[in-house]
Amino acid sequence: MAKKNAPKRELREDRESSEFDEKEPQGVRPRELRRLIGYVVRHRGPFWGGMGLILVATAAALLEPRLLGMAIDDAIIPGDIQELRTIAAVFLLVECVRVSSTIAQGYCFARLGQAVMQDLRLAVFSHLQRLPVSVHDKNPAGRLVTRVTNDISALAEMFSAGFVSIIANGLTVLGISVWLFALDLKLAAVALGVFPFLIWTSIYFSARLRIAYRDARSKLSALNAFLAENIAGMRVVHLFNRERVHLKRFSRVNHSYTEAQEGSIRIFAVFQPTITLATGVAMAGVVWYGGGRAATGTLQLGVLVAFFSYVLSLFQPIREIADKWNLFLSGMASAERIFSVLDWPTETREDEIREPAEPIAGLKGKIVFENVWFAYSGEDWVLKNFSLVVEPGQRIGVVGHTGAGKTTLMSLLMRYYEPQKGRILLDGKDLRDYGRRSLRASIGMIQQDVFLFSGTIEENIRLWKTDGAGASAKASRDFPEFPILQKLLENPKELHERGVNLSTGERQMIAFARALEVDPAIWILDEATANVDSDSERQLERALATFSSGRTALLIAHRLATVQSADQILVLHRGELVERGKHGELMNLGGIYARMYDLQESGVVE
Amino acid sequence: MSATDQAQPHARRIGPWFLKILSRIPWVRTITGRESELLRHYLWKYRRLVGLGLLSLVIVDVLEVLPPIFLKEAVDVVSESRATDYFLKLAGAYLLVSFLQGLCRYGWRMFLIRSSMFAGRDLREKYATHLFKMPASFFDKRRIGDLMSLATNDVEAVRMAMGAGLLTLADALFYFITVPIAMFWLSPKLTLLAFLPLPIVPWLVARNEREIHSRFEKVQESFGKISAMAQEGLGGVRVIKSFATEDRSLGRFRAAGEEFIRLNMRLARVQTAFGPTLDFTMSLGLVLLLFVGGESVIGNAVTLGTFVAFQRYIQKMVWPMAALGMAFSYYQRALASSRRLNEVLDLSTDVPETEAPQLPVVAESSAPQGRFKTSGGIELRGLSFRFPGTQAEVLREISLTIEPGERIAVVGAIGSGKSALLSLFPRLYPVERGMLLIDGIDVNHWKLSELRRQVGFVAQDVFLFSETITENVAYGIQDWVERSAQPVTIEEATQLASIHEDVLGLKGAYETRLGERGVNLSGGQKQRITIARAIAKQPPILILDDALSSVDVATEETILKNLRSRPGRNTEVIAAHRISTVKDADRILVLDQGEIRQQGTHQVLMGDRRGAYRRYYDQQRKREDFESFVENYGGSHGEEKRP
Repeated sequence: MAKKNAPKRELREDRESSEFDEKEPQGVRPRELRRLIGYVVRHRGPFWGGMGLILVATAAALLEPRLLGMAIDDAIIPGDIQELRTIAAVFLLVECVRVSSTIAQGYCFARLGQAVMQDLRLAVFSHLQRLPVSVHDKNPAGRLVTRVTNDISALAEMFSAGFVSIIANGLTVLGISVWLFALDLKLAAVALGVFPFLIWTSIYFSARLRIAYRDARSKLSALNAFLAENIAGMRVVHLFNRERVHLKRFSRVNHSYTEAQEGSIRIFAVFQPTITLATGVAMAGVVWYGGGRAATGTLQLGVLVAFFSYVLSLFQPIREIADKWNLFLSGMASAERIFSVLDWPTETREDEIREPAEPIAGLKGKIVFENVWFAYSGEDWVLKNFSLVVEPGQRIGVVGHTGAGKTTLMSLLMRYYEPQKGRILLDGKDLRDYGRRSLRASIGMIQQDVFLFSGTIEENIRLWKTDGAGASAKASRDFPEFPILQKLLENPKELHERGVNLSTGERQMIAFARALEVDPAIWILDEATANVDSDSERQLERALATFSSGRTALLIAHRLATVQSADQILVLHRGELVERGKHGELMNLGGIYARMYDLQESGVVE
Repeated sequence: MSATDQAQPHARRIGPWFLKILSRIPWVRTITGRESELLRHYLWKYRRLVGLGLLSLVIVDVLEVLPPIFLKEAVDVVSESRATDYFLKLAGAYLLVSFLQGLCRYGWRMFLIRSSMFAGRDLREKYATHLFKMPASFFDKRRIGDLMSLATNDVEAVRMAMGAGLLTLADALFYFITVPIAMFWLSPKLTLLAFLPLPIVPWLVARNEREIHSRFEKVQESFGKISAMAQEGLGGVRVIKSFATEDRSLGRFRAAGEEFIRLNMRLARVQTAFGPTLDFTMSLGLVLLLFVGGESVIGNAVTLGTFVAFQRYIQKMVWPMAALGMAFSYYQRALASSRRLNEVLDLSTDVPETEAPQLPVVAESSAPQGRFKTSGGIELRGLSFRFPGTQAEVLREISLTIEPGERIAVVGAIGSGKSALLSLFPRLYPVERGMLLIDGIDVNHWKLSELRRQVGFVAQDVFLFSETITENVAYGIQDWVERSAQPVTIEEATQLASIHEDVLGLKGAYETRLGERGVNLSGGQKQRITIARAIAKQPPILILDDALSSVDVATEETILKNLRSRPGRNTEVIAAHRISTVKDADRILVLDQGEIRQQGTHQVLMGDRRGAYRRYYDQQRKREDFESFVENYGGSHGEEKRP
């Protein structure tokens, strides 16, 4: 948000590089504008309040020069001191009204702008959270975050600086013009004779400026890209002795940016004097024609003096409008990008995520995969005709080489993705018949990479739940054999930079506590102990054994020791189930499992 | 280092006692001190443009005094009913002044603002030049974002002080001279009256700037929080989904948004009040004028025209008052940025190059036309090393002699010091303890550019410029062309690096721009391009720091064979994890915790059954066996079972 109300707005030209959004204004599309207006009129109070106050402020501003004129005609020339004092008092009053309504109006629109932005921000954020995982997998988080932050800021700026200014200045120009004609038709015609020319000039120069700015901006981003790339690759530049060559290139880019900057300043350098000159022509006309008429007595002197003020205050608003138009366009470009995100289809409805999710009641935890086929794209099957029955309370180990389809299995169970063929049953019911959120709330999943949010450890474990005592706190109290968890919970500190100071074991313990919090009917551990030190691993395993006894548990593991005691071990290979059975059975089989086991035993592979 | 420490020596140099006293005033100190040196430098450099700009500005400001006088004349003529043709003259004069003002306004933009753009350009260039000379350790410690911010935000702040800052300051000062004189000339009494409310303005502006700044920073901070939260909401979307906590996550985001609104409204309160308040002080002047001035007109103390002219003057005086406050904040921002820029600009550049190398003449004959070439003999004498600014020694007392023409391989676990050792050859870091001699000359004595011409270095992490493949490979050739020596062709280099066929398979072949959307080279392909780039440079000594890790074993074998016959070849040092990469080397070093544990040929090292190398080899064999087993395992299970 830029600072507004710099007294002499002329200086704006010198800041072009920071003033504008990176994306080009495309023009105003009625559909986006309507949609945006929909968000605005929702907040009736500040909207109509602000509009009303603008009217008051404009009217007061229009009245002031007239009052000074009246002071001349009605008080000074007749020599009426009493009248003069009255007019001065009225002037002061009008000024107070003008100042306070201007301030109040600014405040109203700021409030309105903020409210609209909050609505939009929440809409986008909630929308992004409801998008299927597949969309998130394809779009880098950075780009989507820009929608929530920068685009909305650009929109806010357009709103607070652009939109309001266009309305207020438009009203001023309109008011002055009408008022001048009402005061004196002929003199108004003389004064406003340059008006069409001025409007044309403003439009013409604004368009040229827009092009010049665009040019400067694209050159600037080329310059920044060049420099950033060279800093990143400085080693290569040094190793190949290319400093001089690259500096020469930088110099070229730098010069071309400066030239583009000069281009924009040149336009301004002509634009501003043109307006000075046009104003001069209008004033000269008023002095010559109005002065003549005043001298012959057909025009009141006060009206003439008021004309001076009006004409001089007419031109700034026109420039202002031309100026803000660019801001308006770039705001619309942001609106377009925001709305296009809001149009992406989601996996859950808006109202579904307002309430806390209810886990499936009385879930036993029987899982059946029936001839499941799945591919992330096209015919590249990650799971091929996969079938499996897991009885309630069973512990299942899933092993296999990288890319065998282990994690995909879990993604399907969580309904992050849907299988193309076959079906998955939970307690005999098709997975699709459960709500996504209640299904997920019934499954506790611990992944290899633990994502930590900023905030405290407590918040990270309970995920911002504030009611109730917290199962993990209870667990740490009742089960002193998990010192890591205890230590973590006793530590109320904020996490630094998302927990860089935590060990992998501690992070995994947080993930475990998270799952424990919801007391799930089904546990899934996706390589949860992969990079954990052995002490943490033992604690985690014991914790899992304690809390998941009698519950269905799926353990995906790279390290085979983790799954040795499972009721059933599945070996996946290229999307197919190639071996299954208990540890002993698989060892006797002498297949992949047995070989993997040997390899790990001999310490070759971790 | 504080501003005070740096300013002192300057003040002393200035000499005269009164300047010494002056320099004790903090504000003056910043003008003469180190912090504003950049500003002073560029003001002086572009003194002609700046001077012309200021001249134009003076003319504009002087002329600015005239229009109100014309209006005064017009009004007085009317009220005294003088001749009407006078209006035509007045109108003409008004027009002329507007024209001249227009001309000069064109002038100050073209001179003053433009000169600031030149200064910005020069400063950017100065900064970039400095960056290109900084040693590797400088970049290890800093983030790209921070370095970029200096080039963009801070350079811009200095530039703004010279453009908009100087303009507002000069404009305000000229106004203070011209307008009050005109006013005083018209009516001393009214002048004093009109100025009554004005002194509050600079105070108001400065206070407001401060207030806005501090509130704005809070808003920024809160905005940062929202951004981070949005980032988290997306990065952690799987966690949120898997625990179905969208409702709470949204609630948390909403709360952050509401805090943001609160802070923004706090900012809006000062921001929206500022402009109107400023106007109000001006209007107070007008009210006083009405009260007292109007009375004076009635009492015939001043003319009606003077009254009208004063209206305009009062309106004109608000701006310079505000400008003073603004100019001050421009200046302050520029000083803060100069300080940050100086922190980098004051650092000494890459390793000193004072000692010129005595190039051995013997090598001259074997060198390609017009080019000196080392024999490639390398000697390490008791070399120890720690990265600049760290304590732990990553290399300890290493002594080694590499004969010209030898291929040395280095193996060892992560953190064993392989990369550190290799980075010393092209002097990415200077050798501090012990010695590294190339051709019998200490690397620290080599002219850096000459040393790097002799040593080709391919790092593990690939860096290619976002240019065409031709340009990227030609990177190594450039030097030869400049010396009008016979370079290898690009195709020769790519063929030696076994990437030629791959490039032809790309849609744009050699003209494919890297880093563009849709150009997806595999890690191995990128590695091979960097090798081609290094080959094209024809360095006598070539160093590969795990640079073949993503290349498949068969291709790797071809490349290693090709490297033996690369043009200009002499010595090679290859660090690798895979046994396949190193087994044909003339000598293999096993590095462990910064020390050489074993060395010898593959056969010799294999003979030591309990040695680290042999153990390493066995483990790799086992893993490879298993991998090939898994690979073939799929064969029996078929693709035929498609639905």
